[in-house]
Amino acid sequence: MAAETSSTEADFITVRVRLSAVLRYTIVFAFIAVFVFLSIQAPAFFNGSNLLNLLVNNFALLALVSLGMTLVTSTGGIDLSVGTAIDIGSLVFISLVSSRHSLPAAVFGGLLGALLVGGFNAFLISALRITPFLGTLGTLFVGESVQQLATNGGQPIYLITGDLPRGFMEIGRGSFWGVPIPLYIVGVAIVGFLVLIQRTRFGRYVVAIGAQSEVALYSGIQVRNTTGLVYLLSALVCGVTGIILSSTVKAYVPLSGNAYLLDSIGATFIGTTLHAEGRPSVVGTVLGVLLLSIVTNGLLLIGWNFYWQQVGTGVLIFLVLAVSFLGRRARA
Amino acid sequence: MDTSLTALGDPIANAKGRRATAGWPSLLIRAGSLFAFASVILYFAIAAPAFLTFGNIANVLEQSAILGVLSFGMTIVMIGGGSNVITGGIDLSLAGNLGLCAAVYASVLRDGQSDTVAFSLTLTVGLAVGLLNAIAVVGLGILPLIATLSVMNICAGFELVLTQNTVIPATSPLLSTLADNGPLGISYLAWVLLVLAVILIIGVEFTPLGLRLYAVGAYREAARAAGLYVKSYIAASYILSGICGAIAAVLSVSILNGSSTGSGAMLLSVVLTPLLGAVFSRRVVPTITGTLLSVLFIGFLINGFQLTNVSSYWVNGVEGILILLVVAATSLVGRRES
Repeated sequence: MAAETSSTEADFITVRVRLSAVLRYTIVFAFIAVFVFLSIQAPAFFNGSNLLNLLVNNFALLALVSLGMTLVTSTGGIDLSVGTAIDIGSLVFISLVSSRHSLPAAVFGGLLGALLVGGFNAFLISALRITPFLGTLGTLFVGESVQQLATNGGQPIYLITGDLPRGFMEIGRGSFWGVPIPLYIVGVAIVGFLVLIQRTRFGRYVVAIGAQSEVALYSGIQVRNTTGLVYLLSALVCGVTGIILSSTVKAYVPLSGNAYLLDSIGATFIGTTLHAEGRPSVVGTVLGVLLLSIVTNGLLLIGWNFYWQQVGTGVLIFLVLAVSFLGRRARA
Repeated sequence: MDTSLTALGDPIANAKGRRATAGWPSLLIRAGSLFAFASVILYFAIAAPAFLTFGNIANVLEQSAILGVLSFGMTIVMIGGGSNVITGGIDLSLAGNLGLCAAVYASVLRDGQSDTVAFSLTLTVGLAVGLLNAIAVVGLGILPLIATLSVMNICAGFELVLTQNTVIPATSPLLSTLADNGPLGISYLAWVLLVLAVILIIGVEFTPLGLRLYAVGAYREAARAAGLYVKSYIAASYILSGICGAIAAVLSVSILNGSSTGSGAMLLSVVLTPLLGAVFSRRVVPTITGTLLSVLFIGFLINGFQLTNVSSYWVNGVEGILILLVVAATSLVGRRES
């Protein structure tokens, strides 16, 4: 009798464990389900040009920002100033182009501007030991003031179409062997971050700091330097994002980068559901960004009203989070 | 809580086991910050003679009402969730909730309903948003940061559906009364802020209930071991926050004479205010009093810049620098002590 009970109990536990293992892949199932649903419902969805358009317009920029966010959250921090780095990168880039500097110089300047934001974060977090949330929040507010002062309260800087340096439009709109250039950049970044986090010593340190910062410190890892570098890298990809963004719209629009903040946090944390212990990962994040972008693109094609799209996206993400966190709870 | 989630804290702080502790250095910092706050006020009082007049102070109170009420909600959530801003309590849906509730109020009035109907529906929506957050955080165990983030998106979506991304104008007896001057020549908007502040200060800082909320946030396991039903406290904090969103929405409709687009822009200020207000408390934690003072300080800052003809573009920067100074000072002291 007693043995019987314990065996059903064991069965029950096995079922629970299996179920939770399945729930862990909620995001993958959600992605496939949405993809299939959209392909059936909207004939225009599943064709090459739409998918390419989706990748360039919805996926590429958010993916870049989210990669930086993934690296930062891997150390247990957060970067609320991604928008600031995008904006400052874009501001410097567009200012240099409009004052007739060469394109490479402008790109270099833009990246340097973004790195300045990252350096400020690194200084606050590593040297002054301010918590990442508060440090980057401070940077965000200071960055807003800087932009408002620099642009007379938020006047955009537009470039004149006939007067652009050679290759300017190519950054955001050009393509090579039929593949748009932003996709090459994102591809390189994804592979780069994957290798960086999974295959290098630096990546191991990052993960170690995120998992057990005390142990990391006492095993001789340069916690402060590594943490600082992480914020610089995050700002760097944001700078790249800012440059692609501003070359696509041929303008610098103040405070436009903040649009990426909440989405990149969302994508990164949706991605954490893929990991058994809820850690951020490059693959998870990329899936998260893909899910967000196909939903945005697909609901538009189905003919949903723009306003209902927002509701639909919100509810879908809420459900994905709910199911996968329930799964994690069942495992724990 | 899941160990992996608690590990998401600040690495350097965790590594050092640093705490913002009481004692003379923290007293010094608080005195220093209070001195900084006071000197800013003093500067404006000297630079602009109109600054410290009764009318101007009433004006600042009125203009701080929306941010204040929202920040009270955030403060309660932060108290109940603990100080770690990533894994602890945070309600990112507050600004979205404000936008949605304002849209509800304005559109119900537009459909010819009375203030009573509009107000009760708005309150219901605010409650529902709070309840959704509570279910997501407490029931489903989603990290507050992303749970409330996705609820914010849902709120923003429904707001767009209701308003079609336009401003819905609204006038009603209640709305005009709110904007009118009440006792002492202070508008009812300002009175709402003050009365709510007094109620919450008493409730959160001077009752056993409030003390237990702090206990739940500061050390969840100990609170549970002491027999507190932790989940209900955390759930209640999100629901209260939802109600704050609804109240702030009514104030906002009264001030703007309609619903507002772009309420989301307030989000980060609402996050920052309670954190900045922590400096007014002895243990450097968010308190309702501290939040009220920090909201008023920001209000005086904006107002002072206007009176002295300094560009208001500086306001965000000053806020950012202040929070960094306060936090840097606290952590430097913590390091020296440890």
